[in-house]
Amino acid sequence: MDAKKVNTQENTLEIKNLEIEYFSDDGIVKAVNGIDIFIKTGKTIGLVGETGAGKTTTALSILNLVPEPQGKIVSGEILLEGKNVLTMNEDELEDIRGDKVAMIFQDPMTSLNPVLTIGDQIAEGLEIHRKISKKESIKQAKEMLELVGIPGDRAGEYPYQFSGGMKQRVVIAIALACSPDLLIADEPTTALDVTIQAQVLMLINELKDKYRMSMLMITHDLGIVAEVCDEVSVIYAGNILEHGNLKDIFDNMLHPYTKGLFDALPDIETRRSELKPIKGLTPDPTNLPSGCPFHPRCDYAMEVCFSVMPGNKWISSTHCVQCHLYKDTDKNML
Amino acid sequence: MTETNAVRKYSTKKEFFKEYKKKSRLQEIWRMFLKNKLAVIGLVIFVIIVLTAIMAPLISDYENDAIKMNVSERLTPPNSQHIFGTDEIGRDIFARIVHGARISLLVGLSSVIIALFIGGIFGAVAGFFGGKVDGIIMRSMDVFLCLPDVLLALAIVAAFGTSLVNMTIAIGLSFTPKFSRVVRSAVMTVRDIEYVEAARAIGATNSRIILQHVLINCIGPIIVQVTLYVANAILTISALSFIGLGIKAPTPEWGNMLASGRAFMRDNAYIVMAPGFAIFITILSLNLLGDGLRDALDPRLKQ
Repeated sequence: MDAKKVNTQENTLEIKNLEIEYFSDDGIVKAVNGIDIFIKTGKTIGLVGETGAGKTTTALSILNLVPEPQGKIVSGEILLEGKNVLTMNEDELEDIRGDKVAMIFQDPMTSLNPVLTIGDQIAEGLEIHRKISKKESIKQAKEMLELVGIPGDRAGEYPYQFSGGMKQRVVIAIALACSPDLLIADEPTTALDVTIQAQVLMLINELKDKYRMSMLMITHDLGIVAEVCDEVSVIYAGNILEHGNLKDIFDNMLHPYTKGLFDALPDIETRRSELKPIKGLTPDPTNLPSGCPFHPRCDYAMEVCFSVMPGNKWISSTHCVQCHLYKDTDKNML
Repeated sequence: MTETNAVRKYSTKKEFFKEYKKKSRLQEIWRMFLKNKLAVIGLVIFVIIVLTAIMAPLISDYENDAIKMNVSERLTPPNSQHIFGTDEIGRDIFARIVHGARISLLVGLSSVIIALFIGGIFGAVAGFFGGKVDGIIMRSMDVFLCLPDVLLALAIVAAFGTSLVNMTIAIGLSFTPKFSRVVRSAVMTVRDIEYVEAARAIGATNSRIILQHVLINCIGPIIVQVTLYVANAILTISALSFIGLGIKAPTPEWGNMLASGRAFMRDNAYIVMAPGFAIFITILSLNLLGDGLRDALDPRLKQ
């Protein structure tokens, strides 16, 4: 489309061995424990997991926005188009935020400033990154509004004058205003009702294709994953337990936790069957279990699970799982 | 009908909307403000007071009525000639109120603006960044906070000499710690809301976030604080004048008049009533005005 998008890098984003900790009075919270995420240009990765699994922390780290001083990125690399985000200074970070990487926040009710017009809020990113006049940026903001399906002349209205779904459209318009290379969607539909969810997802997907963006879709809804993602990472207690493309995860799931997630979904064929929740609760992140973090809740737990953290086992060139139940079958991936 | 005319005036529909929106924003605020009857009353009173101060020489003669002694007419209760009566040396209280409005309003408002500006910067920075910055700024503010306003202002005036400007600055500085506290706490309630994080995520700098996103959401408590402290400032002038570090003797000033009239209050209550009422009505109008302004500026309260 334009020169910016022609990228020699195959991966828009590479997260390698990322570890993030929060320091609290109760001890060190190990939020993210050595995860790897690779997003190929133009692809969408879904990050699925329960509340508190470290999804949002991972997302914030990509913009280097992990709240300080409580939060600290202990180790790892985040390469955005080959450049390490974690070693950038504040000026460089401000340049990439909103321009190269944009974020859609979970709750449109609180992520819009209530006393500024939505036009001003969409225009803000343009003013910062494109160095254009206020007038020009407002004009472009109106075009963005039209793009997300809101009449452009509502740009002078305030967030309270919009419904929840409309607000999330505005948030999407803000995120896309500078046509970023990577879009992080942090549970973009959680705060919306189901009919609006579908609309917003379709909109995100459509615009993603239009601007050829890569996307990190954070969600706990497997239905959303099936709808928009190319690949899925299942995250649990700060570890990615299973990663694969849609076929791998939905038809050929391997990890007991992934299976548990699917068992907990209602089945449209056998409506009367009871849902099977995963036993137990997510572990206390200040006191993670030894070995595999999932072993206290796992039906297949073996002796070795209590003490040894399983490494990545590659099942095929696209599918990898962290579990002692499996052996590497695709050695050349290591 | 009016719509079609408006569209015709601007050649394209787009242009019309642009113009229309720009206007409607101010109009909207004005419309909201007008809805609040008390605020409108406040505005009207305040405008009258300001106009009185500006046109004081047209209303009464400064030299003859407000300054010159006239012992034969001392302590006259209000009558048709002196509607507020005369003071202990026969000066017309009405004339002194009218001329005193100039100094009281000027010093009162400008000292509060100074306090708001300096205190606002310190408070916003401390509240926004927190941690060590907050600690250093607020502890040094606390040092000044433990001195009474008047004492602090007095020390500053004594150090720099007595003049109207010095007094304004002194009062302003003495209020600064209080404003920084109010702004800081308001900023702290806003800084963790998601839209601040969202602003950071689109690459806004800290100063931009503070000015564009944080302070604008703190306008309510700040306006209330401003209207209350204008009253305080006027009273502080009188306290300074009382010990000879404020306004020099014959110059009329509300606080000053209140202070010098105290000795005669028992038999001639009217002598303190007029300046007291002037201060009271000014503050009341500012409070009403401030409340209305706060509500009108906050789009969330629009229904």
